[in-house]
Amino acid sequence: MARYDYVEKAVKVTRREFLGIVGVAGAVLWTGAYVATDLVQDRTKYIKMRAQGIYKDDEKAKIRQSHNNQAVTDVYKKFAHNPLSHLAEELFHTN
Amino acid sequence: MSHHDEHGPRVLKHPLISRLFHWGLILGFLPAAITGFFIWLKPFGDDLQNLLMQIHIVGAAILTIACILYTIFGLDRIVAFTRRIFSWDQRDKDWLLVGGGYPQKMLLGKTIPVPPMGKMNSGQKQLGIMMFFGGIILIVTGWALYAFLPVAPKAVMYWFDMAHLVIGIILGLSVFAHIFLGIYNWGEFLCMFGDGTQTIEEAEHHNPLWIANEIEPVPGSKPSTPGQHQAG
Repeated sequence: MARYDYVEKAVKVTRREFLGIVGVAGAVLWTGAYVATDLVQDRTKYIKMRAQGIYKDDEKAKIRQSHNNQAVTDVYKKFAHNPLSHLAEELFHTN
Repeated sequence: MSHHDEHGPRVLKHPLISRLFHWGLILGFLPAAITGFFIWLKPFGDDLQNLLMQIHIVGAAILTIACILYTIFGLDRIVAFTRRIFSWDQRDKDWLLVGGGYPQKMLLGKTIPVPPMGKMNSGQKQLGIMMFFGGIILIVTGWALYAFLPVAPKAVMYWFDMAHLVIGIILGLSVFAHIFLGIYNWGEFLCMFGDGTQTIEEAEHHNPLWIANEIEPVPGSKPSTPGQHQAG
């Protein structure tokens, strides 16, 4: 058991100091939470906008399927042989 | 020579909550700082680097919890600490100009007069200010990098990473200097990691203004008046 004869005088926390500390702590936490939720919301918003944009582009496009796309057909005919060929898999597919 | 002495009246310098918080810093900040340097310099293979990152995260969690608990249960200590680190006068400037007399003592073996200090000397106040702001920035940027790296804008995360790295390096190096001086002042080290008490004589040597102005006898004890006791 620790024994001592002197102790530091009690620290009187003024109302202003209490509010200051709680205010700063609250501001840091609130800002952090706001930024975090804002980032997630922004990301969700951008994903939705991107998806809508892609659907819109799709609606506008005359050719909507890759197997009907002349450019894609040409790539296979002249270069990658046929879909799922060894070379096509190596170049176009991701794991 | 260690000033730590079992004899003579003693003063409680570091209450239990502050000592527990200091243990929190040892178990949280120190592993996070050491692993942080390895994570930055990448001297090891992937597996060991991953393990170091796990230790870094656990250290950060301990540090964060220690800070939150200290704020809740030791608010008066935080107020006292904040008052002290932001209280500067001519004595502090003079103390800094002579480096607290430490370089002279350590390098030349010469003792020079230094301005009297309160509970914290000017070097500790300086580190206190750095830790106060730097610690908050490290914790906020660290958790943001941990939790929001995939979803946050790249520019924000880039600057968070930069701030985390630069402040981490500065604080990490400063803390190693703090540890060195803490061990050099062995009595203070024993006080912080022991029962929190120091003899009046030793406290008076390092913190004369604190002894003169900021302590009072424990009710019921009959100690000699500070400054008038016989050295023991």
